[in-house]
Amino acid sequence: MSIQVQNVVKRFGSFSALHDVSLEIPEGKLVALLGPSGSGKTTLLRVIAGLEAHDGGTVLFDGRNAAYRHPRDRRVGFVFQHYALFQHSTVFENIAFGLRVRPRAQRPSENEIQRRVQEMLDLVQLGGLADRYPTQLSGGQRQRVALARALAIEPRILLLDEPFGALDAKVREELRRWLRRLHEQMEITTVLVTHDQEEALEVADQVVIMNRGRIEQVGTPEEVYDSPVNPFVYNFLGAVNIFRGRLADGKLQVGGLELDAPEHSGRAEEPAFGCVRPHDLVVSRDGHGMPVLVKNIHVIGPWVRLELRRPDTGEPLEAELPKESYRDLGVSVDEMVFVTPRKFRVFLEGQTG
Amino acid sequence: MAGHAGRSAGTATSAPRVSTEPLAVRCVLIGLALAFLFLFLIAPVVMVFSQALGKGVAAYLAAVTDPEAMAALRLTLIVAAIVVPINLIFGLAAAWAITKFRFPGKNLLITLIDLPFAISPVVSGLIFVLLFGARGLAGPWLEAAGWKVIFAVPGIVISTLFVTAPFIARELIPLMQAQGAEEEEAAMILGASGWQTFWRVTLPKIKWGLLYGVILCNARAMGEFGAVSVVSGHIRGITNTLPLHVEILYNEYNFTGAFAVSSLLALLALVTLIAKSLVEWRSNHNPPDRREKR
Repeated sequence: MSIQVQNVVKRFGSFSALHDVSLEIPEGKLVALLGPSGSGKTTLLRVIAGLEAHDGGTVLFDGRNAAYRHPRDRRVGFVFQHYALFQHSTVFENIAFGLRVRPRAQRPSENEIQRRVQEMLDLVQLGGLADRYPTQLSGGQRQRVALARALAIEPRILLLDEPFGALDAKVREELRRWLRRLHEQMEITTVLVTHDQEEALEVADQVVIMNRGRIEQVGTPEEVYDSPVNPFVYNFLGAVNIFRGRLADGKLQVGGLELDAPEHSGRAEEPAFGCVRPHDLVVSRDGHGMPVLVKNIHVIGPWVRLELRRPDTGEPLEAELPKESYRDLGVSVDEMVFVTPRKFRVFLEGQTG
Repeated sequence: MAGHAGRSAGTATSAPRVSTEPLAVRCVLIGLALAFLFLFLIAPVVMVFSQALGKGVAAYLAAVTDPEAMAALRLTLIVAAIVVPINLIFGLAAAWAITKFRFPGKNLLITLIDLPFAISPVVSGLIFVLLFGARGLAGPWLEAAGWKVIFAVPGIVISTLFVTAPFIARELIPLMQAQGAEEEEAAMILGASGWQTFWRVTLPKIKWGLLYGVILCNARAMGEFGAVSVVSGHIRGITNTLPLHVEILYNEYNFTGAFAVSSLLALLALVTLIAKSLVEWRSNHNPPDRREKR
């Protein structure tokens, strides 16, 4: 089922959680809503589920207004960050819940319920744990039970609210790969809320970046990472170096560097800045580019991060390079090197977000 | 990173130094607590039973099986049997409304629920005399309809209801606030109706808290003196509850009778206490009921 969110507005008292948000979620895709806390991503998810009433706009399921349908009739699977498992029920009864509460005419037989729960348990690889209580499970297992419970009602949409947020890094990574495989298997339209960029970029077909109740950018993981539309997205999706300078004739002049910005050509001279990812900063000793001082060197597995400082302004910079390039370069702390950006984007000053 | 590791190592080394008080201080504190317990709790209970049995078992049984004492016991049990279920429903409804919904006047409602705790029971009794008594606001109308509230059982029930109203709601509100509404939301999305959500999700979560509230409410309903005393009229065998009957016997210098009937009340209290401890023990030893902290 596809979801269309059209001009949705949501206020909590005087606080505006969603300003005029519009979004298209195509059938069968996995879409990640990514943003810092307070960006409205969870609120948007809850509006789609019907757990939160919106103050304006419409939510359409397959082109039909969802507002006329009570949450319990929407056939939505919802997975909560803190699992929200029924603590007093076994794993089996948790998963069977959605089947047991159906009106008598639609309720499957006891045998059918047994079969379906077993199928779900196998799907989430918890076959032997049917009789356990939620408190007897690890966090990762609980979240898989929550997912099995949501999937048991054969939802047409799956909504996940920071499903792996409360788990440790390794389990989180495992579970999100598993979720991706599961999604490819089941092809249910899925919306995942997360504040973890890596998670969104790795799992989603499409990433929606939100900030302060607005959508900043929608695109594939590659698009949003490689071509952020504004400094907020740049910053949010990873580390970034800022080069402040003056823009004239489509070129940004920064301390000896000249960055081409054809998209801004034909404007009067004005202050602007370039955004460069640390791994797009080429470090050399041949005298080309901007001179910088090496302040610190961190070797992180196969990567080396250089903390740099511009001698003219004192601004800190950061460069990342593979260990081999670092060895070839042979720099040490307090040495002078030269940097040139391989890839960058120029934004006008005041264009923050 | 290094700084962080150093700090946690520092905490680890200081952890085993659990602070303990010197032996003398501990002895004084424990001794004080025990002395207090003995003086104000154990000694009076022992006193009640020894006085009750002071003239022999036969006199005790005669006093307890006296028709007026039996009538008082019956009335006390009837009042509790009416009051507790009504307060159970009220407490559930109030706690549900306060913890699951956002609405204006919520804080006022919470304050109002506490009102019976704040005012003296005698005053609450007087309120109902002024409302329903012969010269009260609704008195003439009730009289015309042939209903007798004050100096009759309905008055006793109403004033006991008022005095015991906060117990269950007060027990449930913090519990339900701590539990949050996520499980209920999950149930709703899975297709459960409000009624199914209540029976299958909410009630199992709150059952021990609810039972605890019921026990406290019941204890107070059976023991209430002040408010009931004002509205009952002390008609022997008809509107006398156990506490009122004890007072009458005492005022008549029938100490054996007074203490014998008191021992009935004390027994009811002991049963309540045992039930309360059982509930506390059960709810602590029932892990699925304890929601882990976020």
